[in-house]
Amino acid sequence: MRKFASLCAVLLLCHVLAYAQTKTVTGQVRDSKGDPVPFANITVKGTNTGASADVNGNFSIQVAEGQTLVISSASFAEQEVVVGTSNTITVNLEQQGALQEVVVTALGVRRAKNTLPYAAQQVRGDDVTNVRQTNVGSALSGKVSGLEIRQGNSIGGSTNIVIRGTKSLTNTNQALFVIDGVPIDNSNTNTANQMTGRGGYDYGNAAADINPDNIESINVLKGAAASALYGSRAANGVIMITTKKGRKGLGVTINTGLIHGAIDKDTYAKYQSEYGAGYDITGYSNAADGSPNEAFWFFDANGDGVRDLVVPTSEDASYGYKFDPNLLVYHWDAFDPTSPNYRKPRPWVAAANTPEKFFEKTWSTNNSIQLDGGGDKGTYRLGYTRSDEDGILPNSNVLKNIINFAATYEMTSNLTASASASYSKIEGRGRYGTGYDGLNVNQHFRQWYQRNMDILEQKDAYFRTRQNITWNWRDPSTPEGTRPIYTDNFYFMRHESYENDSRDRIFGNVSLNYKLTDWLSFMGRISIDRYDEIQEERIAVGSVDPSQYSRFNRSFQELNYDLMGNVDKDLNEDFNLKGLLGLNMRRTEIKSVFNVTNGGLVVPGLYSLANSLNPISSPVEVDAPTAVDGYFAGATLTYRDFLSLDGTFRRDRSSTLPDGNNAYNYYSVSGSWLFSHHLQNQPWLTHGKLRANYAEVGNSAPWGRTADSYDKPDPFGNATLFSLPVSKNNDQLVPERTLSKEIGLEVAFLRNRVGFDASYYITNTKNQLIPVAVSSATGYGSKFLNAGDVENKGIELTVFGSPVRNSNFSWDITLNWTRNRNKVLALYGESRNLQIASFQGGVSINATLGQPYGTIQGRTWVFHDNGEKIVGSNGRYLQSVATNNVIGNINPDWVGGIYNTFKYKNISLGFLIDVRHGGDVFSLDLYYGLATGLYPETVALNDLGNPSRDPVSAGGGVIMPGVTADGKPNDIRVENDFGTFGYARNPAAAFVYDASYVKLREANITYSFPSTLIDKIKFINGIDFSIIGRNLWIIHKNLPYADPEENLSAGNAQGYQSGAYPTVRQIGANLRIKF
Amino acid sequence: MKKYLIVITALTVLGVMSCTKDITRFNRETKAPAEVPAETLFSNGVRNLADVLTSANVNTNIFRYVVQHWASTTYQDEPNYNFGVRNIPQNWWIAMYRNVLADLKESKRLISETEPGVISEATLRNQAAIVDLMEVYTYANLVNTFGNVPYTESNDIDNVFPMYDDARSIYDDLFVRLDQDIAALDPSAEGFDGPADLIYHGDVGKWVKFANSLKIRLAMTIADVDASKARAAFESADAGAFTSSDDDAVFQYLATTPNTNPIWVDLVQSGRADMVAGAPLLNVLTDLDDPRRDDFFEPNNSGNWVGGKLGSNNTYAETARPSDKVEAADAPSPLLNYTEIEFYRAEAAERGFTVSGSAQEHYNNAITASIIDWGGTASEATAYLAQPEVNYNTAAGDWKQKIGVQKWIALYNRPATGWLEIRRLDFPKLNPPADPDSGFPNRFPYPANEQTLNPDNYTSAAEAIGGDVVETKIFWDVF
Repeated sequence: MRKFASLCAVLLLCHVLAYAQTKTVTGQVRDSKGDPVPFANITVKGTNTGASADVNGNFSIQVAEGQTLVISSASFAEQEVVVGTSNTITVNLEQQGALQEVVVTALGVRRAKNTLPYAAQQVRGDDVTNVRQTNVGSALSGKVSGLEIRQGNSIGGSTNIVIRGTKSLTNTNQALFVIDGVPIDNSNTNTANQMTGRGGYDYGNAAADINPDNIESINVLKGAAASALYGSRAANGVIMITTKKGRKGLGVTINTGLIHGAIDKDTYAKYQSEYGAGYDITGYSNAADGSPNEAFWFFDANGDGVRDLVVPTSEDASYGYKFDPNLLVYHWDAFDPTSPNYRKPRPWVAAANTPEKFFEKTWSTNNSIQLDGGGDKGTYRLGYTRSDEDGILPNSNVLKNIINFAATYEMTSNLTASASASYSKIEGRGRYGTGYDGLNVNQHFRQWYQRNMDILEQKDAYFRTRQNITWNWRDPSTPEGTRPIYTDNFYFMRHESYENDSRDRIFGNVSLNYKLTDWLSFMGRISIDRYDEIQEERIAVGSVDPSQYSRFNRSFQELNYDLMGNVDKDLNEDFNLKGLLGLNMRRTEIKSVFNVTNGGLVVPGLYSLANSLNPISSPVEVDAPTAVDGYFAGATLTYRDFLSLDGTFRRDRSSTLPDGNNAYNYYSVSGSWLFSHHLQNQPWLTHGKLRANYAEVGNSAPWGRTADSYDKPDPFGNATLFSLPVSKNNDQLVPERTLSKEIGLEVAFLRNRVGFDASYYITNTKNQLIPVAVSSATGYGSKFLNAGDVENKGIELTVFGSPVRNSNFSWDITLNWTRNRNKVLALYGESRNLQIASFQGGVSINATLGQPYGTIQGRTWVFHDNGEKIVGSNGRYLQSVATNNVIGNINPDWVGGIYNTFKYKNISLGFLIDVRHGGDVFSLDLYYGLATGLYPETVALNDLGNPSRDPVSAGGGVIMPGVTADGKPNDIRVENDFGTFGYARNPAAAFVYDASYVKLREANITYSFPSTLIDKIKFINGIDFSIIGRNLWIIHKNLPYADPEENLSAGNAQGYQSGAYPTVRQIGANLRIKF
Repeated sequence: MKKYLIVITALTVLGVMSCTKDITRFNRETKAPAEVPAETLFSNGVRNLADVLTSANVNTNIFRYVVQHWASTTYQDEPNYNFGVRNIPQNWWIAMYRNVLADLKESKRLISETEPGVISEATLRNQAAIVDLMEVYTYANLVNTFGNVPYTESNDIDNVFPMYDDARSIYDDLFVRLDQDIAALDPSAEGFDGPADLIYHGDVGKWVKFANSLKIRLAMTIADVDASKARAAFESADAGAFTSSDDDAVFQYLATTPNTNPIWVDLVQSGRADMVAGAPLLNVLTDLDDPRRDDFFEPNNSGNWVGGKLGSNNTYAETARPSDKVEAADAPSPLLNYTEIEFYRAEAAERGFTVSGSAQEHYNNAITASIIDWGGTASEATAYLAQPEVNYNTAAGDWKQKIGVQKWIALYNRPATGWLEIRRLDFPKLNPPADPDSGFPNRFPYPANEQTLNPDNYTSAAEAIGGDVVETKIFWDVF
């Protein structure tokens, strides 16, 4: 790093020396009415020299005669001015809207947005990086219509990115990431168990390796017509990233930022403070044995031969005895010889420190340096980004180092060579345990916990001993019982039983561009995306679970060979033809090995396979190569800049389908009409375009689905074992089809002060290649076949406006709104339901015929004809026998985002409000946590104004709202005991919550140092100081104690929370210096 | 310039050429076999069957609570008959159909496709019959657990909506299969290789005895509903069935992971201490001075034999708990044993079936074998049997009660079989747990996902049996 900095210094010096013979030119930028345009960018063409106009449009710049100034400003057409002898210049800019910008479309083809016949929404790189979000996917939330993003709160976790709804029943629905025309892998190695809440870590997805600081712009291609040229992988839409390119001269940008994080307490559990450990207030000891209180254990705890009251440490619930500061009892620490409370009783009171204190305040840094430059023949760009992020859990960190390089060189006047490469290394340590698993601290904190236990005393116990001194003793009346029964000391767990992982990745390409004539060029390109990753997981000796070490090594490699010819020819005065013809060969190979120790570890603290107590189990090996060969053609015919017609065709042959069925075609037809061309004398209408398209794309199967093989369990002694696999493969598969129709309207009014872009689409994904879950009575869990038809219909709307725009102050708003409705039109055979995932708590996520994809099913109440819930003769709710009642739907009614930018003089303020309306989530945290008596609801006063946990005989108890079988209001008062508000006494439907939210997702205030000040520092071109915030405020939500957006992982199984992590509110500062 | 064009053209041509090769070769599985020996699937099916029948995992095998041999200190869902929150019926169903029957059926298919040669035709016939016996055993368990279940259309991936067969007609067919298997087995020829046969280590003669003993179990199971059929089946099988504990069908677990007894995994390796002795069983053992008490359990921390209450809180320190013998990593797990068969013979005598020896003799044999199996001695057994409460002549109640109580004791740690017998014999009378979700479970509800994955057949089956609730009785359970 130090060497790198000195290199920068040398380059900077050269830069200063190279531009000595210049003069100062001053000027003003105005609009067509003559009003000043504030903050326009002025650059010397082909160099990095630049300046900014001030609020009054005035600027000054060092430039030589004969050089060209490029003046640009948002909402105005870029203009070039050649510097003459005069030292003053006035520039008049023509206003234009976002609709006239140039966008990058499939395969890197650049075209003006006003002829684009399909929906595509561009986001500037700055809008992605302005709050220093390190994950590109997360940074897009709320910024693009048609895009639904869900992200969990775990460190470095995966981001679910779905464009225009869930199309594939069981395969990936994630958008394809493409960088500079080359697809980049975005796999997620999270296990099926992890995704269904059965434990494991969220390792994030591979698109997290993309460096946000290297992004020039992102264009989201939403429909199949836009992406058909990419072939099958683009059926879910494409996130096209264009990286920054080098320019002549030398430019250096440095960003340095520091971000502080702390949990948003609104998204975490609140605890009752009145009752402590126990499932009941009797049964822990026996009055007949002399026990004065049956809510406590009764044995000699201090060695004096007299029996004492002891907290039932094995009981991970808080339905025990009412707190009483005058009652002295022996707590867990009375059995820890290193504790000051060893063998001493303490008052029976609520713990001062709840699990909220377990979460740490974090400090993360994010630094980058990007430099670029070039000469007459070529340009280059080089960058380094390092982000070091601490998590809210002890011992958690994700460190990213990314180096990127790109260069172009004109070998001859019509032959250009380009190369780009990026190397990234992501290292994670102590990622958060997830789901219903002991390694997820929130399984305990939110579901199974004792309110009397002080979390910070557990911290002291661990750091005092480095041993597993738990609150959850199995049976502390004996030395051998002084060990954890269900729960480790949380600090021991985090510091000793942690995971670590890393991913080393190279992504790059080399290409040659040959321009044969001014209308015909060829491009050949070879690109590679390859990474190696390792995931090591540990369970320390002394934990509740058997000690274990596992390692998972995985490598991914994809090679793409592309050859393309491009035509761009004006056929006559009216017609222009753009065309391309190409070949693509793709070769992908995934190899992995998973190994795990067997029966425990021999030497504590040694995490190696050789340290296995028993001979290690057979490794799980995967070698999955795939190949796709395709050729494609596309043509765009434009008539006088207002009518355009597009057609594309692609044919792929895929290795994963059976011979004879493995070649398939894609095509798209689209057209656009710029109707404002005919209304040029209408001053209110600036721009208007109508577009329509139709596309059909195919998709092939995952690897290895056409033939069967056997699984091999570990041998039993001398007996070799083999087993049928859980899923049955199929040699009759045919390609999957997605049919997509779309119409759209783009209009801008009043010289671009206001406008919108709206689309309506219908997609049908048919003949899906899916492992259909089948009755286990078939001997299998699933069968791979072609089935199903899922329809997605939706409206996307982007509205932009500038309510205020004057010389000192401007206010811009962009609003994105998406409403998608999906419906399962067909499944296989007589089946009316396809289960996507089943979860703890007796709920499942399903695709049900005639319903939206993603219904939550489970037990519900039994309802009377009058609509009320029926209560049985015991005063508790009756529950349906059927477990397949639809009790929720994971799909939101709509999602949206409002982005506001205010500029006043040198200060700008931007903030994003992100909204999800509707959609449901099942909370296992409340399912269990309400049963175990953790939450305030379980101690509320009853209708008589008495504590509900008092016995019914003493005026306590509760009446469940509902009716008895005869329809009369329920008046049966029942004991408020274990389970009264939670699972077992209530159906799963009681724990389905509305997942709507309104979030202040991000905000930033930036102060740009004025040019008058900057000009005094010779080689600095700009300094911006920003205060940034992320996840600042959940303005509205209906899910108690958690973030409705929290999920387990990316993937199709959404709408379920178990051991949810709280939102991390992040506030920081960033300094950007441009040289 | 031309050089570059040549390079590009050459690369293109190479690319196109490689396109034309057989592209499907990429899709080949190179890390897992497409062909395996038939015996390996048989071994795996048997192992999976032993695992699920032995397990004490609260997600699958909770019958120790149902028969009140065990109680729980803390988690009272299962002791109180709540099987829904953990999808227990579904897990049991998957274990039987997918983990056991699928591999057994595949093994049988591979055997049937093997050309006699290195392996003789008689051996192949023996192997097919042995596999079939384990299938019969498993289907009988499925019927005993659920009632009507998929049978004629089960384990056929070409039919993903298998019909549920009538439980009684399944039993009828199982008898036919047992007779065919008994006829097919040839003790003079070989069966599976010793290591692959995890029950009898290649001894075909023992499999013949197993077949007859299994026939006795099925016969006695239907004795209340079809006495004549039961009688015929019993009488034809009696002579060929187990004659001593040496004949027992025992799955011997190993001392090292992952081949240990599942109870060791559930109780010792997991570190759990919430499963304790059930007071109903422990109190009977204590009252009867049963020599098996300290083989079944160990006393509480104070050395006292206090059992746990069913369905409400218990304290581990103060409650007796499963013994080291039960928790041993290499503890054997019987699938069918001489003790059971002797109880059946005693019962047959009471039912008036032709059987050599009196009910009392067989009752005594059964109890003696059980005591010795658990590590006791013949003299302990004699002393035990001499007590008036145990003595067949003086013990309380009718034969159903006498046999029921002692069989319930002897079937300790045999949870599924224990549940079968208590439903069939209706003794001992168990008190409901503290806070039951339902009446006594006479069956499991069908798996939750059958409602969604096989809806039409599920609905018909639920109607046919008289409602998909736990109180519905299996066809043989008429009292």
